[in-house]
Amino acid sequence: MSGKKIYFYYGRKALGFILSMAVLSFVVFYIARLAPGDALVSYYGERAEKMTPAERAFAEERLGLRAPVFVQYIRWAKGAIQGDFGISYKYKMDVMEVIRGRIGNTLILGGIGFILIFVLALFLGILCAWYEDRFPDRMICKIGIVTSCIPEFWLSLVLILIFAVYLRILPSSGAYTAGREGEIGDRILHLVLPMAIVVTGHLWYYAFMIRNKILEEVRADYVLLAKAKGLSKCKIMFGQCLRNVMPAYLSIMAISIPHIMGGTYIIETVFSYPGIGTLSYESARFKDYNLLMVLCMISGGVVILCNMAAQTINEQIDPRIRPGRENETSEVEGFGG
Amino acid sequence: MSTIEELLEIRNLSVSFDTPAGEVKAVRSASFSLKKGEILAIVGESGCGKSVLCKSIMKLLPGNARIKEGRILANGTDVTRYRERDMRKLRGNFFSMIFQDPMTTLNPTIPVGEQIAEAVAVHYKGQKRGKGQGKNLPMKKEDIYRRVIELMELVGIKQPKERYELYPYHFSGGMRQRLVMAIALAGEPQILFADEPTTALDVTIQTQILDLLCEIQRKLGMAAILVSHDLGVVARAADRVAVMYAGKIVEIGRAEEIFYDPRHPYTWGLMRSLPIFARPDEELYTIPGMPPNLLKMPRGDAFACRNEFALAIDYKEEPPMFQISDTHYAATWLLDMRSPKVESPLTGLGTFAPNGYRQIYIRKSLSEQRTAGKEGENGDKVILDVQHLTHQFKLGKKTVIPAVNDISFQIRKGEVFGLVGESGCGKSTVARCVMNIYRPAGGKILYQGINICDKEQVKANRRLLEASRQLIFQDAASSLNQRMKVSRIIEEPMRIHHIKTPRGSYHKEAEFQMKYVGMDASYLSKYPPELSGGMRQRVAIARALSMEPELLVADEPIASLDVSIQAQIINLFKHLQKEHGFTFLFIAHDLSVVRYLCDRVGVMYQGRLVEEAKTEDLFKTPVHPYTKALLSAIPIPDPRLEKDRKSPDFDEIKWPEKGEMVEVGPMHFVLKNA
Amino acid sequence: MEDKLFELVGAAYAPPLSWAEESRKAAGSGKLAKRYSKKPALSFCLLAVIVLGCLGCELFMPKDPLYMDLANYSHRPDKEFWFGTDTMGRDLFSMLWYGGRISLLIGFLATAISTLTAIIFGAVSGLAPGWLDMLLMRFTEILLSVPNLLLVVLLQAVLGQVNVWSISFVIGITGWASIAKVVRTEVRQIRGSEYVIASKCMGAGFFHVLWNHLAPNFISAIMFMVVMNVRSAILSESTLSFMGIGLPLDIISWGSMLTLADQALLSGAWWMIVFPGVFLVATLVCITNLGSALKRGVGGSESNL
Repeated sequence: MSGKKIYFYYGRKALGFILSMAVLSFVVFYIARLAPGDALVSYYGERAEKMTPAERAFAEERLGLRAPVFVQYIRWAKGAIQGDFGISYKYKMDVMEVIRGRIGNTLILGGIGFILIFVLALFLGILCAWYEDRFPDRMICKIGIVTSCIPEFWLSLVLILIFAVYLRILPSSGAYTAGREGEIGDRILHLVLPMAIVVTGHLWYYAFMIRNKILEEVRADYVLLAKAKGLSKCKIMFGQCLRNVMPAYLSIMAISIPHIMGGTYIIETVFSYPGIGTLSYESARFKDYNLLMVLCMISGGVVILCNMAAQTINEQIDPRIRPGRENETSEVEGFGG
Repeated sequence: MSTIEELLEIRNLSVSFDTPAGEVKAVRSASFSLKKGEILAIVGESGCGKSVLCKSIMKLLPGNARIKEGRILANGTDVTRYRERDMRKLRGNFFSMIFQDPMTTLNPTIPVGEQIAEAVAVHYKGQKRGKGQGKNLPMKKEDIYRRVIELMELVGIKQPKERYELYPYHFSGGMRQRLVMAIALAGEPQILFADEPTTALDVTIQTQILDLLCEIQRKLGMAAILVSHDLGVVARAADRVAVMYAGKIVEIGRAEEIFYDPRHPYTWGLMRSLPIFARPDEELYTIPGMPPNLLKMPRGDAFACRNEFALAIDYKEEPPMFQISDTHYAATWLLDMRSPKVESPLTGLGTFAPNGYRQIYIRKSLSEQRTAGKEGENGDKVILDVQHLTHQFKLGKKTVIPAVNDISFQIRKGEVFGLVGESGCGKSTVARCVMNIYRPAGGKILYQGINICDKEQVKANRRLLEASRQLIFQDAASSLNQRMKVSRIIEEPMRIHHIKTPRGSYHKEAEFQMKYVGMDASYLSKYPPELSGGMRQRVAIARALSMEPELLVADEPIASLDVSIQAQIINLFKHLQKEHGFTFLFIAHDLSVVRYLCDRVGVMYQGRLVEEAKTEDLFKTPVHPYTKALLSAIPIPDPRLEKDRKSPDFDEIKWPEKGEMVEVGPMHFVLKNA
Repeated sequence: MEDKLFELVGAAYAPPLSWAEESRKAAGSGKLAKRYSKKPALSFCLLAVIVLGCLGCELFMPKDPLYMDLANYSHRPDKEFWFGTDTMGRDLFSMLWYGGRISLLIGFLATAISTLTAIIFGAVSGLAPGWLDMLLMRFTEILLSVPNLLLVVLLQAVLGQVNVWSISFVIGITGWASIAKVVRTEVRQIRGSEYVIASKCMGAGFFHVLWNHLAPNFISAIMFMVVMNVRSAILSESTLSFMGIGLPLDIISWGSMLTLADQALLSGAWWMIVFPGVFLVATLVCITNLGSALKRGVGGSESNL
């Protein structure tokens, strides 16, 4: 690709991103307001239920909830463009401030989890494919099937029960012990259980995917030729089969990012881990509109970005050298005799 | 070591596969030897174990295959029980292999040069370790590169340096097979296994690859084992030939012995069923029945139940190898002292004339016979009139591939019109345009006077068009819905049109059609995967016939079938045309079939019709250079003729961009440069 | 006899029966065949026990699952309360069978909804012209990349009122994308297949092709995914209920039983966490095993490596 073309290519992508974000924000904004529930509760707490209609009207006016939804949206969008996302009803401070305090925790949990999943899935997948239908493969597959059937939250509970309640070697909740915020060791201790859940929750899906993709490759004819020319099993597996699988794996792993991040939301709730997962859960339940908007925009942005990354990876691989044939052009299939 | 003349010796090798259904005995006590510098060909139909035999020698078989007994001696060393690590040292260095489909044997994601370099690097590493030199230095990068270029030049790839970095998709089928060969030759092997190396290629490329193989084999002094189902290919290349049937080598000998003096009834059957030997006024010979199920082998000789010369003992005991001459052996009881003398049914066939191949080509034109008999009746009624047909495919937004370019021909009632050409020449596209599957981009197709490119006219005559034109595909496996019973498949067109059946019910009608195509009605309750390839094609034909069509468009209907099954289907077509007056548009790439079956032939090249004539005229006096080259590329199963024949040079032929059909003889048209 | 052996008899000869019997003896046994045809019998039996037990729980339940025995709250498992009681004094053993009904019902309902949606969406996309197909597929891809649970939470928030139907609907309507993709690929493939072309040439209409060719073929292709969908639906329900946005406490399901886990953790009442979870996991593993048996293997061929 020439320089100009690349600008054009990425320019189009960026435009697409901005457009989808705009659409997303509007949809979320609208849905959030359509949903039943009382936003005032999140701001005024219990008091909201005892308000007189006049008081309510006044409160709603103050929070800007009386105007038609579309007008509200325009108002919000104007602020958002200038970087002002409003205040959180519950925390009574700037939304960005609230999020800034939490997002680091989630990134640590999700980010390290992602890397672990990426590496472990690759390792397990290759291991299984190498020993196809022999003891290690069957063993890993059995374990994988059972583990992937265990709901994350239940596994968390059992692990808490074992390690925190009975053995008392690991903390059961939070990101740090109060008063020891700076200590890395303490943080790591708090991360062990949530991390274990994040990894086991997603690992198997990707490990099995790698395994099956390699097994498909291993059945291709070129493996026979590689073998006939005297290459070792190791060289064929890593130099040829894995090489063919990697692009697809990368693009799927790109899409996995939102899934893994989304998974942390549940885990954060179970472990009362102060991340944005717990935050979004609260904001959705208690109609903390401004907070919800930003959190949805962040999640949505991650989803869209990762999608685009996956698509770009797919587009960068020349379809003609892509392993496996996906003939989408239906008419051309019948071409010739 | 050097005194041992046999490079490779196989003794009583048996190979079995463990499958869910049970043990499949793919190779049963095969024995042969291979000398330095010789080419041994293994022929047989699909599933006879020829490819398994080769792969088992190189231990390339999947995990569920086992060598049950026997020994493999490589250069005098027993390698039967070699482990994977030891085999790896032999692979590439002692023996190497090329495979059937060059499209799938190269890794699509790695540049070809790199793939060859890999083989070179492995070879040199192994050699150094083998010699036990102190320095185990890897080969230098430049040396490897030089060697790769050398190999690419050896297999006839021009501009190797420019092509080093290209991916396999940049190359055509023939070129890819050359690349595969370069990879196989990288380790300077002493034996090259070639598993159907030309089967997936066009006739025109086939000879080139085969000649290249022979040339390199002579140049490097290698031995080779050539696996093929095509007797013509074998005749051209082989010094010795082994014929396999149901996992056993039934006859082995020098090429001349096998081709001129075969002794096994199976070899007879194989040769007799070739359309190239047949006289057009006769039915093709067919071997009755089907190859046995390797799961449940019958007792005695596996071929007995298809063998018209079977002796009673064939059903009791398997025949041993009888020696006929020093080099010629055959496993048939007919050679036993006690058995009656049987004369080979082959004597008297055209091949045995010392200079016979002109004779092979001459045939009495069927159309001549027919027009003599039926003239005035319907001999001149044009059923299909294709006028200036043009079609192209759009790939993406900008790329347009012209598939068919300004083609005109006519088919008369009761005629078999053959359309030949190599793959990608657009012949299938013509068929699909005729069947209204594609909408032609230009030109007109008149079917019984109805313009089928015109939507209005098609609408008005829908029923007629749908019922009286039927299509038969190349691969019956994919043209039959696997989840439908055979009876439903055959009834489908009748159900669609709610036809009133002359025989009472749909089922009865289906039974009738099954009998008509020579199948037992009990197959009606089976599903297509349970049938063999030949039977599936019969079902597809029965489905087409159930509408009592007038025009049958057959798109390579026999290309994926074995020789003996091919003959059965060809006979069926011939019968349909002769007795029932069906009109055929018969698309094929196999010229010998076309010669046997068709009345008139059109030759297509790159989307254009380059020559059209009566079969007889075309084969006797081809005019267009492409037709000439195509005709001379037909492999003839006669080693003496075949070995003398020069391979046609297709690069020499110039292709006209524009041109017009010019009549050069009665009903004989050729594309001439405008 | 010896002379007759060398008589020319030809292809259609029926050898004496005694010869055939000898050959039968020589044939090998089908020992290996067994290894391949392993069916998940154990999973099937276990699942049958669970499903039947849930359906007919009235017949053998020792207690009323809804009755709150306030005197015996958080009771350890013993002879009277086999699996103990929860913090509200309900008998866990009875609740498990009773609640299983709801969990399974939601699993099947949600799957039915998502399968139906998937088939319609996938078929439309598969049959649609290129641009529409691309649009629809982009949509499913985006849907696929959004974590399912977030969508469910969002939708649940919109619907507000939670009952068995609404939760099935929410889970079903968010879980169809992957099946739709498979349906679409299959439909595209089958649509271009030669037997459909043949059928069209014979004049078959759209519905004939759909009914006779498309449906039988893609249904077998999605069977595995449909079964897996039951699994993930049950999983989603339990997760939702646990988080307090699913079924309320008074509608007993395996998920809602776990809602009380927080309190159980504090009091160390392990039985309230372990028993429902074990039931849930056992059911899911059985379903997975059954589903895998339905799956078409990797082409059935053997590795070349």
